[in-house]
Amino acid sequence: MNLTRRDFIKSVAAATAASCAGMSLPLLTGKEARAGGADADRWVRGTCRLCGTGCRVELGMKGDRPVALRGVPGSRTNYGYLCMKGMLFYKVMEHPDRLKKPLYRAKKSDPFTEISWDRALDIAARAFAEPVRASGPDSVAYYGSGQALTEETYLFQKVMRGGLRTNNVEGNPRLCMASAVGGYLTSFGADEPIGGYDGAEHATCFFIIGSNMSECHPVFFRRVMRRKLDDPEGVTVINADPRISATSRIADLHLQFRPGTDLALLNAMAWVILDEKLEDRTFLGNYCTFRVGQDKKEVDLDAYRKSLSAYTPEKAAAICGGNITPERIRRAARLFAKARAAMSCWTMGINQRRRGVWANNLIHNLHLLTGQLLRPGADSFSLTGQPNACGGVREGGGLCHILPGHRLVVKEALRRQMEEIWGIPKGRIPPKPGYHTIAMFQAINAGKIKAIWINCTNPAQSLPNLTPYRKGLRSDGVFVVVTDIFPTRTTECANLVLPTAFHFEKTGVYGCTERRSQLTLKAKDAPGQAMPEVWIVREWALRLAKELGDPVIAKCVEPFAGKEPDYELPRAVWEEYAGKATAGRDNDLRGATYDVLAAMDDGVQWPAPTVEYARKGGTPIKFVKGVDPLADRESKSDLPFEFYGPAHPDRKLWIWLRPYEGAEEEPDEEYPLYLSTGRIIDHWHTGTMTMRIPELLRANPFSFVEIHPKDAKRLSIRPRDMVEIETRRGRVILPAKVKEGPLEGMVFAYWHDMAEDRMINKVTKDAYDPGSKEPEFKICACRIRRVSGPKALTPVIAGL
Amino acid sequence: MPIGGFVITCRPSDREALEEILAGFPPVEVRGADDRGNIVAVIETRTSDEMDDLIEEIGRIEEVLSVGLAYLHAEDEIERIATGGYRPRISLGKRRRAPEDA
Repeated sequence: MNLTRRDFIKSVAAATAASCAGMSLPLLTGKEARAGGADADRWVRGTCRLCGTGCRVELGMKGDRPVALRGVPGSRTNYGYLCMKGMLFYKVMEHPDRLKKPLYRAKKSDPFTEISWDRALDIAARAFAEPVRASGPDSVAYYGSGQALTEETYLFQKVMRGGLRTNNVEGNPRLCMASAVGGYLTSFGADEPIGGYDGAEHATCFFIIGSNMSECHPVFFRRVMRRKLDDPEGVTVINADPRISATSRIADLHLQFRPGTDLALLNAMAWVILDEKLEDRTFLGNYCTFRVGQDKKEVDLDAYRKSLSAYTPEKAAAICGGNITPERIRRAARLFAKARAAMSCWTMGINQRRRGVWANNLIHNLHLLTGQLLRPGADSFSLTGQPNACGGVREGGGLCHILPGHRLVVKEALRRQMEEIWGIPKGRIPPKPGYHTIAMFQAINAGKIKAIWINCTNPAQSLPNLTPYRKGLRSDGVFVVVTDIFPTRTTECANLVLPTAFHFEKTGVYGCTERRSQLTLKAKDAPGQAMPEVWIVREWALRLAKELGDPVIAKCVEPFAGKEPDYELPRAVWEEYAGKATAGRDNDLRGATYDVLAAMDDGVQWPAPTVEYARKGGTPIKFVKGVDPLADRESKSDLPFEFYGPAHPDRKLWIWLRPYEGAEEEPDEEYPLYLSTGRIIDHWHTGTMTMRIPELLRANPFSFVEIHPKDAKRLSIRPRDMVEIETRRGRVILPAKVKEGPLEGMVFAYWHDMAEDRMINKVTKDAYDPGSKEPEFKICACRIRRVSGPKALTPVIAGL
Repeated sequence: MPIGGFVITCRPSDREALEEILAGFPPVEVRGADDRGNIVAVIETRTSDEMDDLIEEIGRIEEVLSVGLAYLHAEDEIERIATGGYRPRISLGKRRRAPEDA
């Protein structure tokens, strides 16, 4: 690059950054612009796929090669900002480790052999047909991903349910946000947040609990930070977390409680709200009821108040420990209740718990008591970790108990609707939900599942209490098909590995945290013979139909026959899903056609039942008449809100009486410390992509364990010493980082490391929430000991 | 050589001090700033490795609250990867770091 060209690119970089911040810089002179040429031939629209925020990004192309990335200032998801991990994913596209040909081995002890797609699809069809014939439909399963496109999840589950007649359809969002689903359904009667990201520009109080937002959702955190900086006196940030993190830097009040005691803390805040008469009586009277127990019995305010008497600030402070005092609880409750608009934000710290649904309910309770909902900045807002956990898996039918369009499997009328939409015989979709995630992998160990298709995810690293599940996946008792872009710990367990196209190598839709669907277009060909999943599923289904002699399987992919896979095929799948499967449902996306999505800076928020409405961006706040077209359509009164969610026939919001319960496994004499786990900004999920990007690998090449200085001193552990973490499930050895992040008595470890002796999920616990079935990754009991001084370690990347 | 456009944010009262600190980093060119604590910077490094190191270092400066990226141009480096002139190291650990002390 010569000097003038470089100056031109720098000017473009500066101008792009300045536009994000609302600043204007001197424009390029005509001479500069002519000398510089263009920074890219064309810019291709898409969304970032590296977290759940859904940042709009454009990929700059020269010919068939990516050369640049930029944000989109007009997009309401990120206003042009991106983060380092998002900016670097183009390297995944060009990476030499990409899977490029189908690989097969009959036995898992054999080496892989490259085979053709024809042979691979035939093998996959036989591998699923044989157990279905011999042992019935529930002997096969699909395990998908919040990183898969909506079209992919929708088509996989259609073939599994309508074609193969099993609801064994699961996905890794079970591990991260199932409790949020349960919370929204039981409190509000409808899944997914009421508002969106733009609440951040209106809130005057942020209640951030169980989320290291600064590291895990940095672009959204920037908006919260910006709001705080712009009005430091008028905006309050409360951060509630057992661990001090980068998120705490902007907090006015940090509530550091003992892990697993947040239910007591939240109930205590509710107690203060009632005790100090800070509740919104009108809102309560118009819209809320109080509920208790499995039979959802309705009770009154007095019963609720009585249930909270076990959580006075004094009693709760004693339960919560840490820095929690009665006065801190009172202060937090007052700040929240008195705010002009209070916005709660949380993620895995709340969800990955044995009582994750209850914890979600108790956050919602605070909003219901105070009426902090349904207006800009007042929202109870669950953040999602993956780019399409909401759009693809929650909405597209990617979990064992739900069909597309938020339909419950157990409801016969809803199954009939899907069968009619798909044009398949009545009764084809079985009435019983399939295995949830942990049960699915337990069923593999028990020999009940004989073939599983794992798409775009890495359960052989991400499951809790990993060792027995890896053993099951590695056995020859189950045929494992894996579709992915890189070798992973899961491809190591596979019989058949099918290479897939990556982001911008195919076309499709992601739906992010705020009910917003956005389209990413294909920009370049996938390497080698890698193919889009929608093509793979269609071709596999056609072969399955022949193997089983079952034309209904072929019927499932008939509408997509012959369509080219890069655009027309995913478009046809989306048209069926959005245009038919969401029609009349609360996530109505009929207006969000590919043409509309392609025309929007930032996509469409459902409900968006018509094209005209979708072109305005859809619904920013659900349930508000005059804003949400479904609220208008469903209106039964003159009140301003209508709660039409499918789970609450009484059209009320439910305040739940939920007692405090601790973790499944609390520290004891034998295992005296809490172990909590999480991710780091540079690495995402199991690191299969980010660990291959050298910048990210180098920044934090291996996992480590954070230890409070007092614990470190007591156990004679010095920084960088090698430390063994032992739980009742096993042991791992990690280097120590001594810092006042976790509370005394708690250690915190990251989970991106693929090394056998450092995979933290070998020691985490697979207890799960009885409602959401989400595992309690966040808390178990452990003991630690120093095993040696600092030791050189080698980062490990899975191979084949 | 990768070129990035960034918005580095601090408290408004810290902005001038931070601009002085940033002036000590040769690859960082401050192109503008506002009274909300935003500093527009262009960073050019030999490799994206170096850019990442630098961003991490800037993030550790006490006054910095956020480093936001808006644009990255890496044509040269991508060309090298695509043509086999540069194979991203993935497991050699040549430049790996030990975890830092608090």
